[in-house]
Amino acid sequence: MTIIHNRSLDDIAETGPTLGGNAVTRAFSGGSIGRLIGMLALIAILGFLTIYPLAMLLYGSLHSTPPGLAGEFNLNGYRAIMTTQNFLVLINTVGISLAKTVPSLTIAVFLAWIIARTDTPFRGTLEVLITLPFFIPPILTAMAWGMLGNPQVGVINLVWRSISGSPDPLVNVYSYGGVVWHMCQYSIPFLFLFTVDAFRAMDPSLEESSRMCGASRWTTFRKITLLLMLPVLTSSFMLSFIRGIESFESPLFFGLPAGIKVITTDIYESINHRATPDYQYATSLSFAIMGLMFLLVIWQWALLRGKSFQTVTGKGFRPNVMELGPWRWVTFGFCVLFFIITVVLPVGQLLLGSFFRFFGFYTYEMLTLEHYRAVFSNSEFWRAVRNTMMLGLLGATATMALGAVVAYVSVRTRWRGRSLIDGMAWLPWMMPGMVLGVGFLWAFAMLPGPIPIYGTVWALLLAYLALGTPVAVRVMTGAYHQLSYDLEECSRVHGASWFQTMWRIMVALAWPAFAVGWVLTFFGIMRELSASILLYSVGSETLAVVLLKLWANGNAEQVSVIGLMMMLLVILFRWVQLRFIKARISKL
Amino acid sequence: MTSNRSMTAAAIRQWSRRCFLTAAGGIAVAAAAWQPVQAQDAEWDKVIGAAKKEGTVVLYTALVGQPSTKKIAEAFTEEYGIAVEVLEARASEIRERVRVEQAAGRFAADVMFTSEGQTRLYDAEDKSIDPLPVTPNSRKIKPQFKLQVPMASVMTIPYGIMVNTGLVKPADEPKSWKDLVDPKWQGKILADDPRAIGAGYLWFFSTYDRIGEDYLKKVAGQKLVFTRDQRESQRRTARGEYSIYMPVILTDMSDLKGLPVKFIIPEEGVGYVLYGNVLLKKAPHPNAAKLYLDFLQGPTAQKIYASLGYGPVIDGVTEGLPADIKAISEAKLYGTSDSRRQNEMLAKAKEIFK
Repeated sequence: MTIIHNRSLDDIAETGPTLGGNAVTRAFSGGSIGRLIGMLALIAILGFLTIYPLAMLLYGSLHSTPPGLAGEFNLNGYRAIMTTQNFLVLINTVGISLAKTVPSLTIAVFLAWIIARTDTPFRGTLEVLITLPFFIPPILTAMAWGMLGNPQVGVINLVWRSISGSPDPLVNVYSYGGVVWHMCQYSIPFLFLFTVDAFRAMDPSLEESSRMCGASRWTTFRKITLLLMLPVLTSSFMLSFIRGIESFESPLFFGLPAGIKVITTDIYESINHRATPDYQYATSLSFAIMGLMFLLVIWQWALLRGKSFQTVTGKGFRPNVMELGPWRWVTFGFCVLFFIITVVLPVGQLLLGSFFRFFGFYTYEMLTLEHYRAVFSNSEFWRAVRNTMMLGLLGATATMALGAVVAYVSVRTRWRGRSLIDGMAWLPWMMPGMVLGVGFLWAFAMLPGPIPIYGTVWALLLAYLALGTPVAVRVMTGAYHQLSYDLEECSRVHGASWFQTMWRIMVALAWPAFAVGWVLTFFGIMRELSASILLYSVGSETLAVVLLKLWANGNAEQVSVIGLMMMLLVILFRWVQLRFIKARISKL
Repeated sequence: MTSNRSMTAAAIRQWSRRCFLTAAGGIAVAAAAWQPVQAQDAEWDKVIGAAKKEGTVVLYTALVGQPSTKKIAEAFTEEYGIAVEVLEARASEIRERVRVEQAAGRFAADVMFTSEGQTRLYDAEDKSIDPLPVTPNSRKIKPQFKLQVPMASVMTIPYGIMVNTGLVKPADEPKSWKDLVDPKWQGKILADDPRAIGAGYLWFFSTYDRIGEDYLKKVAGQKLVFTRDQRESQRRTARGEYSIYMPVILTDMSDLKGLPVKFIIPEEGVGYVLYGNVLLKKAPHPNAAKLYLDFLQGPTAQKIYASLGYGPVIDGVTEGLPADIKAISEAKLYGTSDSRRQNEMLAKAKEIFK
């Protein structure tokens, strides 16, 4: 099915005209040898970043001992995971992930539509505010929600009891609902960030045509707006669903007291809670899950194949902003309510608690600035900030550059091997973080001696590059799906070089997605612990490692101070992105 | 008279000879005994000299975030002028790092600070540690801390019971581990999960061995609520979610001063984990490593640990401490876990606490 009759890839010849210029230009601009070299280079980079660590893990799943120890090849790991108990845990895990992904996506799409396509007041400010929870370390929001929603003395339940007189609590976060709710805190802003720019890049003439043909608003929304966003929606659904399967903090914090088991807790126990860590079991289970997840990717490929989703064409357009009249205050109220529940309540707890000696004990004599003093005078913290900022800036930029190239090749060319690199870029997302971290350790440490990666900051950078690539590719894929081929061709016809075309068309028009992806990747790096803890070396501690140390030592208030500072950084980045870069890049 | 004098003179000469012979013999024996000591001292001086030339010791520690690590590292640097580079990660992570580093021929670390149970795994499974050197201070530790595994014992982490003083009256406070089966605590106990390696499992192991399975089955009937976050659980109990939290790291008492909680040393004694240092194979700074091992068993480091409430492995370092810290530091050690029975006991814990 072709949704709109723009030119699609099928109309474009597989081989373009041979161009002159230097080798790099040729590599990307259509020369068949150059193209081959470019593809091979991409495959080599992605192979090293994704296939190599996964191959080490595959070895671990097929060998009785981890790399470096004598043992034998067998299938004991895969045999061991085939139990009824594991099947039930898998069903439970899938159920939890679906229970959080479906409502999260619904709310995120609704919020994105409100922000991008309606005249809701203060939507520019709301756009930044409603995404804030995503950037706070999950353990902090878990602690805050524990204080708000525990059945005994949770603030919400105390208020409820005093109003209603009921002896029973209103909410209990230590339950399935609590696990799902805490996961939603992260998936809604994530999905919102993913979808909001796709709404912005929507050509309203398509919707207007639908309306003129007699379709209702609702039918138009379903059949035009949502269908046009299919690449973005399916990508974001899958990213969120897979991440839900791999979620660890929420089930551990809220699920364990309620006896809720998920796959990741089983993997964690097989590594940490057996006499000898059972890496064969952990990796086998992870690969089994990965196999199941890959079926989803294939489903998405089948769903999108042969369709065009271009909305940004050579014709000028402004995204239509729907005038809601008095209803705009309803949408405004919805956003504010969302902001209050997901941001003000938990972050308010963290902010308040950071000025008292202990969270939850808000008396005058407990007031202190000691936590701020302790953080600011902690030299290790500042060293970690320097390391993390450097890794974040470099890592996010490199990851987005790689993601943009992979997405470009995958979406906008017919080069042989494009599906392979698209698939390779998915792989790191499908492996639970705690297992993939071990894969990086094995991979980098086992490199031949002269290759100095393990024990250096490069190990961290390469791991972050691999971990961020799936999101980078998905973000850019969604954006590139929406750009018409006419634009590129028009640029080339007017004499622009390949790089000029890339910069003025593919970068300038896809920059909002690039910027969102950059922020997601940057903060992904700031929060990443599983690989960091296995790869950092003395002196190259990252912020996540320092947070772990503080948390492990019971300094939850200091962790909150750092969490709040990270949030301020997000606000700053988003402000720069929405105000400064927007103004500069639109002049390109 | 003359004969008396000559007799007296002869007696004196005889006594003098005996005295001389005795003294000479004594000196000879003392000298014989002193020579090896002198030789040992000279040998140790050489280690110190070589360690100073190495200039650095790389320490991996599985005890994440403990301020004592930094304090002791600073004290060591101050005494010997040798820098201590510290890398921290959780037990399974740090163990895998060491194993892989050694398998790949990357010998980056000198010393690992870890538990007795983990040491057994390092020694038997990974074969990543060297035999312990005999150092001056290693001879002075209490006999119970001289181990079969090659770990230089340093300190014990004691575990007890914590109550919320707003919810538990002094008269009702549990005094012993056995008091936890009192029906009045049903549904009111927050516990570290005994089905996973950690403090809860340690409590399960030690009480299983010392009190018995029936006791644990009775505790299971108390409908415990399990968690795996030690510090956050202390806060939850302090905020009034539960009356009791157990087992609690008793040394955290100082950090929670001002909150409505009380730390109780059970009558039977405290569960404990013994921590110590191991010497890693092909350590890049072997002499600095030996010196560090020795320093941790010496009075300076031992006093630092005792002042924080940890159990020292030598005598005479708890004098002058505040009474509450001294009580924790000197608490009777009740029981610990044994990594050789880990799978069996985890299965047992899962069976009892379904």
